[in-house]
Amino acid sequence: MLLSFRRDQVDSNAASHNNNMEAELDSFQRQVAEKFTDLNASSSGDDLLSLEWIGKLLDSFLCCQEEFRAIVFNHRSQISASSSPTNRLVSDYFERSIKALDVCNAIRDGVEQIRQWQKLSDIVISALDSRRANVGEGQLRRAKKALVDLAIGMLDEKDSTRLAHRNRSFGRAKDGHNRSMGQHLRSLSWSVSRSWSASKQLQALASNLTTPRQNDVGLAVPVYTMTSVLLFVMWVLVAAIPCQDRGLQVSFFVPRQFRWAAPVMSLHDKIVEESKRRDRKNCCGLLKEIGRIEKSSRVMNELIDSIHFPMSEEKESEVKQRVEELVEVHEALKNGLDPFERKVREVFHRIVRSRTESLDSLC
Amino acid sequence: MEPQEQNSRSSDGDDCSVSGFDSAEKVIMKWDATASEEAREKMIFTDPQEVKLYLHAVDEIQRYVSSSPGEELESRASSAIQIAMARLEDEFRNILVSHSSPINSDSLMSCSSHVEVEEDNNNNNEEEDNNNQEEETDLLKRTGSSSSSSSATTVRLPTGRGSYSRSTSSIREIELIPIDAVVYLSWIARRMVSAGYLRECIQVYGSVRKSAVDSSFRRLGIEKLSIGDVQRLNWEALEQKIRRWIRAAKVCVRVVFASEKLLCEHVFESVGAVNIHEACFMETVKGPAIQLFNFAEAISISRRSPEKLFKILDLHDALIELLPDIESVFDLKSSDSIRVQAAEILSRLAEAARGILSEFENAVLREPSRVPVPGGTIHPLTRYVMNYISLISEYRPTLVDLIMSKPSRNATDTNAPEMDFSEVENKGPLALHLIWIILILQFNLEGKSKYYRDAALSHLFVMNNVHYIVQKIKGSTELREMIGDLYLRKLTGKFRQAATYYQRAAWVKVLYCLRDEGLRTKGSFASGVSRSALRERFKSFNALFEEVHRVQSQWLVPDSQLREELKISILEKLSPAYRSFLGRFRSHIESGKHPENYIKITVEELETEVLDLFEGLTATQQHQRRRSE
Repeated sequence: MLLSFRRDQVDSNAASHNNNMEAELDSFQRQVAEKFTDLNASSSGDDLLSLEWIGKLLDSFLCCQEEFRAIVFNHRSQISASSSPTNRLVSDYFERSIKALDVCNAIRDGVEQIRQWQKLSDIVISALDSRRANVGEGQLRRAKKALVDLAIGMLDEKDSTRLAHRNRSFGRAKDGHNRSMGQHLRSLSWSVSRSWSASKQLQALASNLTTPRQNDVGLAVPVYTMTSVLLFVMWVLVAAIPCQDRGLQVSFFVPRQFRWAAPVMSLHDKIVEESKRRDRKNCCGLLKEIGRIEKSSRVMNELIDSIHFPMSEEKESEVKQRVEELVEVHEALKNGLDPFERKVREVFHRIVRSRTESLDSLC
Repeated sequence: MEPQEQNSRSSDGDDCSVSGFDSAEKVIMKWDATASEEAREKMIFTDPQEVKLYLHAVDEIQRYVSSSPGEELESRASSAIQIAMARLEDEFRNILVSHSSPINSDSLMSCSSHVEVEEDNNNNNEEEDNNNQEEETDLLKRTGSSSSSSSATTVRLPTGRGSYSRSTSSIREIELIPIDAVVYLSWIARRMVSAGYLRECIQVYGSVRKSAVDSSFRRLGIEKLSIGDVQRLNWEALEQKIRRWIRAAKVCVRVVFASEKLLCEHVFESVGAVNIHEACFMETVKGPAIQLFNFAEAISISRRSPEKLFKILDLHDALIELLPDIESVFDLKSSDSIRVQAAEILSRLAEAARGILSEFENAVLREPSRVPVPGGTIHPLTRYVMNYISLISEYRPTLVDLIMSKPSRNATDTNAPEMDFSEVENKGPLALHLIWIILILQFNLEGKSKYYRDAALSHLFVMNNVHYIVQKIKGSTELREMIGDLYLRKLTGKFRQAATYYQRAAWVKVLYCLRDEGLRTKGSFASGVSRSALRERFKSFNALFEEVHRVQSQWLVPDSQLREELKISILEKLSPAYRSFLGRFRSHIESGKHPENYIKITVEELETEVLDLFEGLTATQQHQRRRSE
């Protein structure tokens, strides 16, 4: 390293080239810091972990990824020597990125899961839509049925297995419906194998991630930065969206020396906080909209249970109000899920493209 | 025959007969599973009579609902409808579940056998592959260009390739559910939809049919492999999975998905609202379709290495063949994402094929082994490369569409041959790539030839290998057509030249012993021959010839025709030279002492010895040969 430094002093061309590289790497650090500062700023209250906010997070990832891709491209001559440490660093990043691809695919499943809940809440709304007809006992029963299905569907994996066992041991379900519990168990609908685990993927993504020293030259710092960003984004996705064997226990820590460390760690801490809240502790996904559906449907369920016929005006207006709340979150999902899914898919594609390009120069 | 409203009943809602309503309501209440044990234990749709009664009752109530009969009736009616819909939902589910066993493997196989016929030839050849290719391919692996899998596996180059028929009308729908059940389902669906219970109907339908599709998938051997899983598998295992996937995918698209689509259409055919069957179809197959294509996607993004080329091309071809069927089955707006994914995978596979070809070219150029092949015979690299490009020529129809750019060469790479395609302007990119590969193979071989200490052997090596290249090209019409006669002539000239260089290097010293000059003493003509010099000559000749014979019998020219030609060519120079030498000078030796020390060999014996050359005999074998003569 000393040798190349001396050479650079002699060769002014190389020196300016070196300065360009430094500027490039510096700009990358700055951009990551900016993006996450913005995200941190827009993460108050209800915004954090909403579909829209996660969408913004994914957008930020795409920007950072593009810049990283450019950096790798500009350094490809360094990379192509197969024994160079830069080569190892970069190929290591792309090995990790495969884990991210699998997470993206699993998230697709999770989005589909959420769509099912959205459809169930649609039934509830349709049943209680007082514009068409007065809400009678029949409609209430219909809504109730859908709400029960929704509640079961939203049980965290571990809970639903326990519930299934309990029901099976009681023989056929009391209400006489021949509905097989199995159809509500999410595990059957995952497109991943039974042994696949989201938390293991995250752990593998994070394993052996060594922090470079502040003044490490070459690509050690940008690779570390990009890996951390990738890990964080995947961690958020797994936290928010239902998937098999979710777990947030992977240790994620970025030392303060990096400019972007503060906003990223702040977001991380906020999300961990969120996951510990009593009402969200056992949920199947921290997505804000999931919480809202869960809450709305629970409240609606309780309300329906409390109604005796004939329905008082008070109850009627309460029903109307709850329906409106449910409509709001239903609309948010109906409008937000498709673009969100497309964004996740875009992340998938960019990672693949970047990986393919770089692997070609890695030989 | 669907239960119709009886004509005697007035269809005019205002003139509603309350007793009609009451009896309908009674029927519905009778089957309320929350209210009676009996209702829980029996199913309506096992008894056609009950079916008729029940549906009639539902229709009756529905008529009341839509005719605004006044508040009290309305409330009872809506309540009854809800109970009826809940019941019908259960019946619907029950019918579906009892008929949704996975497609039995017989009908799957009989559908797929039509699809498999073209591939049988292909597969048989692959199974019988020999292991000669092992050492050749290990070489390429050592260059580091191969996949990250740790086990050293044999690269099986398929020896042949079935031709894929590109038919589009290969969709085969089968009956998933017996027709009478379908009729029942459609009767129920109609009632549910007209009562506004469309969503529940779709949901039940989708969830039951989806798990039936999942079971069919399991029967077809479609696995839930993640991209990580695919990366970790060794190539041999992957090849098998790809083969299986190609067979399964054809059945999935053409039989399973197509049949589900038809079933949706049948069940929801008479239902008023538009596109319900489309929603149900997507509900049923979207997840499985994505799962199916995930595997192909994983393959398309896996690390590139030369041995993967042909299976990737197979996968590519299979997808191209399936594309029209995919478009036809997934022709809805809501299934855009599936069509898009298939197209993406196709383009990635094409990219991968191009990338692998590049990789291959790099690997050939940089193949670093320096250990000279004993005997100057054909290098495993030559065999591997020529087999590889022969196969490429067999995949010409596919590759010609995929390979669109000319071969490129890193401009700063001084360790590569020059690329001059000025003479071959009318050749397509694929042909240019093949020519380029041969050029770099030659280049690499030239480099390897320098590691022989014996110059003659290095020329022999070049001759052998270039000759092999020529033979392989001649042996394949496709290859010959693409390489073209111009290059073939150049290559032929190359190995002939190498043969000439060999002869010069190997025999010049021997022949030198048989020259005239220096033997005659100054001035005289007739008998002024220096006997001592002559003796020296004979001694040198004998020693050199023996040495050449000993060493070069161990050398190898594998091609028998080339071997014979070479021997003849040597003899053409050697034999007359020796004969005339003997003729001129034997008397001088024989007139002196111990002529047998100097004339050790007759012309005939010389010719026989030359026949030993290039047979790859070891020293012991030579000795044994001599003893047996």
